[in-house]
Amino acid sequence: MTSQKAAPAPPDRHSPAKRRKAQDGRRALLLLSPGVLWMTLFMLLPLCMVVYVSFWTQTTFAVEPTLTTDSWRQFLGSPTYLTAIGTTLRIWAIVLIATLIIGYPVALFIGLFVRNQTVQTALLVACIIPFWTSFLIRVIAWRPMLGTEGAINLILQKLGLIDAPLTFLLFSEFSVLVGMTQIYCVFMVGPITFMIARIDGSIIEAAQDLGASFGTIFRRIVLPLSLPGVVVGSIFVSVMVLGEFATAASLSGRKVNLLGNIIVSQVGSLKWAFAAVAGVVLTIIIAAVITLALRVVNLRKEM
Amino acid sequence: MQVRVLRPALAVYTGAFLLFLYGPFIVLAILSFQSKGGGPQFPIIDWSVYWYEHLLGLAETSRVSQLPVGDSLLRSLALAFMTTVVSTVLGTMSAEAFRTRFRGAGPVFYLIILGMMVPGVLVGLGMALLSNVVGIDRAWFTTAFVLHVVYTYPFAFLVMLAIFNRFDRSVEEASLSLGVSPSQTFRRVTFPIIFPGVLSAMLFSFTLSYDEFARTLFTAGRDLTLPLAIYGTFSVEIYPNIFAFGVLTTLFSFSLLVIYGLLMKRFTGKRGRFKGQEAET
Repeated sequence: MTSQKAAPAPPDRHSPAKRRKAQDGRRALLLLSPGVLWMTLFMLLPLCMVVYVSFWTQTTFAVEPTLTTDSWRQFLGSPTYLTAIGTTLRIWAIVLIATLIIGYPVALFIGLFVRNQTVQTALLVACIIPFWTSFLIRVIAWRPMLGTEGAINLILQKLGLIDAPLTFLLFSEFSVLVGMTQIYCVFMVGPITFMIARIDGSIIEAAQDLGASFGTIFRRIVLPLSLPGVVVGSIFVSVMVLGEFATAASLSGRKVNLLGNIIVSQVGSLKWAFAAVAGVVLTIIIAAVITLALRVVNLRKEM
Repeated sequence: MQVRVLRPALAVYTGAFLLFLYGPFIVLAILSFQSKGGGPQFPIIDWSVYWYEHLLGLAETSRVSQLPVGDSLLRSLALAFMTTVVSTVLGTMSAEAFRTRFRGAGPVFYLIILGMMVPGVLVGLGMALLSNVVGIDRAWFTTAFVLHVVYTYPFAFLVMLAIFNRFDRSVEEASLSLGVSPSQTFRRVTFPIIFPGVLSAMLFSFTLSYDEFARTLFTAGRDLTLPLAIYGTFSVEIYPNIFAFGVLTTLFSFSLLVIYGLLMKRFTGKRGRFKGQEAET
């Protein structure tokens, strides 16, 4: 703010427009430098550190800055770690599809069928409110739901649908999938609802007047216009699921090992170089997913 | 006619979805009133507030150890406060810069957004490695704090960007050209317009930091924050005291939301009055 006043009047050979542009540039630089510096020092530098340390030499309890590809060779040669990559990708794909399939009809209802503004907002807020509650509590809340003596088994037994409690519900891959789907569904519903609610009602009316069935309207109008929301939602869900470890740690009973869990356990046993290798692999996967999604939609335009 | 069937079907589906979202938490809240001898599951043997007393340290000692909430709660609140201040200031400054066109806007935008996208476990690991190399001790108010800002600053930035997008620059220019000093213009013109955004940015930053966990795990050092203390109890058997904690921490988050709503209402109410005055003249 002060730069506007402090800047001395430059010589007149510059046009006012040019002068203003230069001034704007200086002002932007001044305002942005603290943030950019912060992100560079505390985000980019640590990420570079992960890549760098992945080539360090791992001894029993420490790492030495002697460059080697040992950790990488060990990582890529170990079935445990390769399985973790597979598990991560599988869980990611399933959760992504599940959030989309479960979330899309909700977004469709809130965005398209609820025309009352107040009700629409209220429903959207109801979907978003869980986001404000503690993540760990939302994870732990699935334990009394899914356990052998949990609410779901209890209800199913009372209804006479099953004789013995289902044991696959908790401490399995299933519980991780259910937990993640519930926790991250919000991030799919939000962006899609936003895009659908923005569709001009007169377009749909026009289609109706021309005799289009709902199926046609959905396929030709609603679905294409909601796609940016799907992509943004998918980016959110993907990034969060790929970097996950807490849900798997607390709901799978150590049966599901994601790359995140590998990192946590390696850091726990001071194997920094292995943790770094897992981190780089994770980064590559996430970067690939985001790049792919950003090819489909320009995030900055949508915001 | 298809719509006539589809609408109620989707309404029922949305209801089921909300049950899916809220069901586990409702069960957790019910079970938090389990009696002393009861476990973390149904049936409720007897309704009681025993586990709340246990959580707050009011109950006599039992075989179940108390959740380590006291100090860690204070640390989390202090950390969230620090994070809120810094990320709101950074977010507002950066969004202000984005009101003008400048070279490199695209890369800078993505650099900031990356902060909310990059997984916590990755930056946490990187920060831990970095502090090892540089030789800084890891602590919640240093290494964890800077990462919390990395995470919440993009949210504050996006909120402020949305506000500034709707904010006509000529209003400010009018004030400046009438001879009002830049600092006065900021206080009297700019700030009242961006205040709702600032409040939202603060709410986002505080809530996200208070609950942040993945970034803190490797960087908090010896003294734990609240989410870390809770996470520590995951590996062992759980007791209804953790459910009682869940209910209380959720109530805390909601009270923040209510305070936010009241401040917002008060503010927008005021602006409504100004509009009325304009109409009179």
